[in-house]
Amino acid sequence: MDLLYDIFADPFVQMAGMPDFFVQVLWEGFVTGTLYALIALGFVLIFKASGVFNFAQGIMVVFAALTLVGLYQAGVPALLALVLSLGVMGTLAVSVERLVLRHLVNQPDIILFMATIGLSYFLIGFGEFIFGGETKSMITSELGLPTGSSVVDFAGGIVIFQHIDIAAVVIAGILVTSLALFFSKSRIGRALRAVADDHQAALSVGISLNQIWVIVWFAAGIVALATGIMWGARSDVSFALQIVALKALPVLILGGFTSVPGAIVGGLIIGFGEKIFEVYWGGLLGGGVEGWFAYVIALIFLLFRPQGLFGEKIIERI
Amino acid sequence: MSSDQSTQTADGRTIGGPIMEVKDISLKFGGVTAIKNISFDINEGEIRAIIGPNGAGKTSMLNVINGFYHPQEGQIVFRGEARTAMRPYVAASQGISRTFQNVALFEGMSTLDNIMAGRTLKMKKNFFWQMLRFGPAEVEEFEHRKVVEEIIDFLEIQAIRKTPVGRLPYGLQKRVELGRALAAEPSLLLLDEPMAGMNVEEKEDMSRFILDVNDQFGTTIALIEHDMGVVMDIADRVVVLDYGQKIADGLPAEVQANQDVIDAYLGVAH
Amino acid sequence: MTSATLAAQLDTIPKLLARNATTFGEKPASREKEFGIWQSWNWAEVHANVEEIALGMLAIGVKAGDHIVIVGKNRPALYWSMVAAQSVGAVPVPLYQDAVAEEMAYTLDHCGAKFVIVENQEQVDKIFEIPGQTESIKKVMYLDPRGLRKYDHRNLHSFEDIRTLGKEDQSRLQSMLAERQKVQNYDTTCVMLYTSGTTGKPKGVVLSNRNIIESAKSSSEFDDLKVGDSVLAYLPMAWVGDFIFSIGQCYWAGFCVSCPESEETMQNDLREIGPSYFFAPPRFFETVLTAVMIRMEDASKTKRRMFKFFMDVAKKVGPDLLVGKPVGFMDRLKYRLGTILVYGPLKNRMGMTRVRVGYTAGEAIGPEIFEFYRSLGINLKQLYGQTEASVFITLQPDGEVRPDTVGVPGPGVEIKIDDDGEVHYRSPGVFIEYFKNPESTASTKDPDGWVATGDAGFIEDDTGHLRIIDRAKDVGKMADGSLFAPKYVENKLKFYPNILEAVVFGADTDSCTAFINIDISAVGNWAERNNIAYGSYQELAGHERVLDVISGHVKEVNQSIASDPMLSGCQVHRFLVLHKELDADDGEMTRTRKVRRRIIGEKYNDLIKALTDGSKEIFTETEVTYEDGRKGSISATLQIRDVEVVARKAKAA
Repeated sequence: MDLLYDIFADPFVQMAGMPDFFVQVLWEGFVTGTLYALIALGFVLIFKASGVFNFAQGIMVVFAALTLVGLYQAGVPALLALVLSLGVMGTLAVSVERLVLRHLVNQPDIILFMATIGLSYFLIGFGEFIFGGETKSMITSELGLPTGSSVVDFAGGIVIFQHIDIAAVVIAGILVTSLALFFSKSRIGRALRAVADDHQAALSVGISLNQIWVIVWFAAGIVALATGIMWGARSDVSFALQIVALKALPVLILGGFTSVPGAIVGGLIIGFGEKIFEVYWGGLLGGGVEGWFAYVIALIFLLFRPQGLFGEKIIERI
Repeated sequence: MSSDQSTQTADGRTIGGPIMEVKDISLKFGGVTAIKNISFDINEGEIRAIIGPNGAGKTSMLNVINGFYHPQEGQIVFRGEARTAMRPYVAASQGISRTFQNVALFEGMSTLDNIMAGRTLKMKKNFFWQMLRFGPAEVEEFEHRKVVEEIIDFLEIQAIRKTPVGRLPYGLQKRVELGRALAAEPSLLLLDEPMAGMNVEEKEDMSRFILDVNDQFGTTIALIEHDMGVVMDIADRVVVLDYGQKIADGLPAEVQANQDVIDAYLGVAH
Repeated sequence: MTSATLAAQLDTIPKLLARNATTFGEKPASREKEFGIWQSWNWAEVHANVEEIALGMLAIGVKAGDHIVIVGKNRPALYWSMVAAQSVGAVPVPLYQDAVAEEMAYTLDHCGAKFVIVENQEQVDKIFEIPGQTESIKKVMYLDPRGLRKYDHRNLHSFEDIRTLGKEDQSRLQSMLAERQKVQNYDTTCVMLYTSGTTGKPKGVVLSNRNIIESAKSSSEFDDLKVGDSVLAYLPMAWVGDFIFSIGQCYWAGFCVSCPESEETMQNDLREIGPSYFFAPPRFFETVLTAVMIRMEDASKTKRRMFKFFMDVAKKVGPDLLVGKPVGFMDRLKYRLGTILVYGPLKNRMGMTRVRVGYTAGEAIGPEIFEFYRSLGINLKQLYGQTEASVFITLQPDGEVRPDTVGVPGPGVEIKIDDDGEVHYRSPGVFIEYFKNPESTASTKDPDGWVATGDAGFIEDDTGHLRIIDRAKDVGKMADGSLFAPKYVENKLKFYPNILEAVVFGADTDSCTAFINIDISAVGNWAERNNIAYGSYQELAGHERVLDVISGHVKEVNQSIASDPMLSGCQVHRFLVLHKELDADDGEMTRTRKVRRRIIGEKYNDLIKALTDGSKEIFTETEVTYEDGRKGSISATLQIRDVEVVARKAKAA
């Protein structure tokens, strides 16, 4: 009986009993979810445009953050370092297209997937070689990002909002909106959708596949850099971050591999879900729920709705 | 292309000198020869048909012209410039548009967006403005939309403007594909079996559109057809291929009377 | 201003236009969707356009009294051309754009048209196909130059050329135009419309300015049509209804007429325009309803359930709410909720959100279709009209709308029913004559101005509403002299989904009998739900319980027929369900699925005899033609059922 009470009643009693704490948990979940969504967005962009599942997206987050901090430590002013980091991500996009994708055109998807695994190991090695393997801390205040916190009275208690979290949510929102607008309204967005639909037809109307690939990889790089800064500000910058970045996989399974809204909703669901579950039910399972909760949800989805919440139903024409 | 070469047709169209010459083209896939030593030309302003039984190498020929295939031997002269092989991007930017035998549209996109995509090369490549999507990019988008709307009107597909093309019946998809090719304002339009899989009425409509495109915009058209009857009605000159080789080239009536052509068609049909 | 002086001033369409240009100058008058964008012209602009075209017409030598034929889909420029033709004293003659060349040749020759205005190449080709057209037709003008570049332009002009010609000589032509307009009055011809008569050659109905303007005026007042109303012009320009809506009422009331982009985009354009005044034939409403139902079949379960729930609410209280009858608070609340969740979105999809006055006419509309639209809060009504009447004979006033009547006589219309039940009318809208056809004019319109409609009907004593039974020639007499209206009864039977076709017999006999064809999909569905096994159409058609169901339907129809004293003799006393479907391949129906009464009567003579001689069943053998043309025969023993009839009231003297 006690167990049933602990599972089905006690958490809700707690939620109702301490609404301020509950709101705090929701907020934490929201911020984490936003960052998950950003990482997933990077995957979706590349997957949509080229059908490549970019295993290296998580590493790109770390690599971007590392580059930024590394440049700063090497004496480059913070804002210039940011611009240079963007340049590095652009160079990376061009290099990936020139050195990898161009040579693997028309190869099976699995080959391209393997290539991205290779890419991720290259980035790890290259990053450690240049910037060293030790943990670094993000140059939050140097970039002009807020570091303080606000305390809000709520329902007889308090809720604390870290300013960096607020900034993260705002920046993520702006980034997602502008990307969505860019890809749905602009000529390049149309070209991107065209490439996703039919390579050969896209070629025949004069769309350059190479150019499109560079653009999506660069866009994914920008997203990675933004994510890297936010995550780095919340914890530290190290290759351990890639474990977090891998959370994008369950997010994608939830939201569908080809859907931008799916990535956002999926990210938020995982973010909220794992925080709430960790705080209110985690004790029953000995804690550490955050590590695997997302994967369990993904597994359930794979069983019942393999195309994800927003994914296109795969209908093969007969 | 000099003016002394141009002629008037009976119905008042002007046909100029060759806009494209295909010279001694051979194409092999591994050990298999798809096209063997073929030469012909396409005059500016004409409707040129490439016909032949199935497997004659017609689509391969089109793919060579448009740069999807690279021939092992021969030369392609387009607007006076000789190349051994085209690249699709170069072909498109030089004014060669095409359609596909089995319709290759962007299925998830609307008719409007498909045709807009056809204007890709007409748009200025100002990435910066594209990012911001206002100012010059907005004005540009508006002007392209105007051209696209004229094409929609021309092809009488107003009713499906906003419909995702994947949902359209086959005959209409073919029409949208023609629209997308036209959007590039091509100087040479390649049509790969534009009437395949259509009923009689749709074939008549498509023939009318092809003739109107040629007549109104003066577009040079090279089309592949399987159905001899349709071709004889609309083409100015016809090349006949069989087993990768050219077996006849001339006016529709001449070709129709050619014994090799009759044999090739009968041989396949029976 | 008295109506007499008003009439004196506004006695032609061009004069109405001049008034509109000054009174409603900035208000929109014409709209057309082109290149995906709605173009709009206000009354002042329309006035300027019409004048430009009129000057062009003078420049190419159009004389007073000339007929100007106009062919094309609904487009503002073609409507303006009609008014321009009137301005120069010519008579516009709009023709059906889908007419084949021979039909067009007949009408062109009949009216002696010297000028033709067409929309595009398709129509130019038809005109040029007519042998000898070069002698009779002086000029052909076209709107859309596409494909016409290489045509011989000696007699062919683009519309723009005509406008330019007019402008070049403007000062001289302007005074000429004024002269031409001066001699026009209430009794000069406004328009000539060809009726596509079911038999014989089409007849040219000549309508005067009085006919059109009086009809437009009284009908606009009847439904309070005014500036700010909006219609979509999508029905053929050659049809009198379109002329009245898009020119008569439009110019009288000053509302805006929008032309769709193309035939196929009509539904979409309807949604974008959201007209407040809308006419469509019953078939249109039927098609739209079917499309809605099919969409609902595919919808999710919750959606379907919600749809059904709210449609039931609407059925119950919608019609009452529409006419302002009191409705309970809960029902009102449910209807309000339904408007947000179901009716609103649905009306929006159908493009009928703003419809204030909707009409249907031309044939009987199924009551459930009619009620469906009314229950959604769309004020759909019926009217009854003819070309010869400038449309309006009867209309349903708001608040007196029923599916089975066509309304009360319009303002200024008198109606009488003759001894054979045929409806006659007299009104200010009554046509002048059939062009070059005095015999037909005389046989249709008597010296006192009464016009025979060719339809049989009667006026309900209590409501004063007219009810149409059938074409007068199809209405016969029974042995006792009472009316026999088979189609009326058949239509009532066919409103049941289970009944696909019905053929009623009874001319010159004592009582009516019927053949019934079941609808295999509806009855098959019903059988499945009720666990009735059947192996073939024939078996299902002869099934005891199917006969019970059909018998119930026939009984209900009898009750409904009995309520009309004039027709109560037509109750079906006995019926049988045919063992095969009536089929065009067997000559039993026309290709347009109209029953061929005489052929069926001959072919199934044995069955008809059995129906009248009181037998309980009959064995029969019938020849059938299979789809591949082979012939075979099927035989069956058919049961004959007696049906309860309602005792007849004493026949009204």
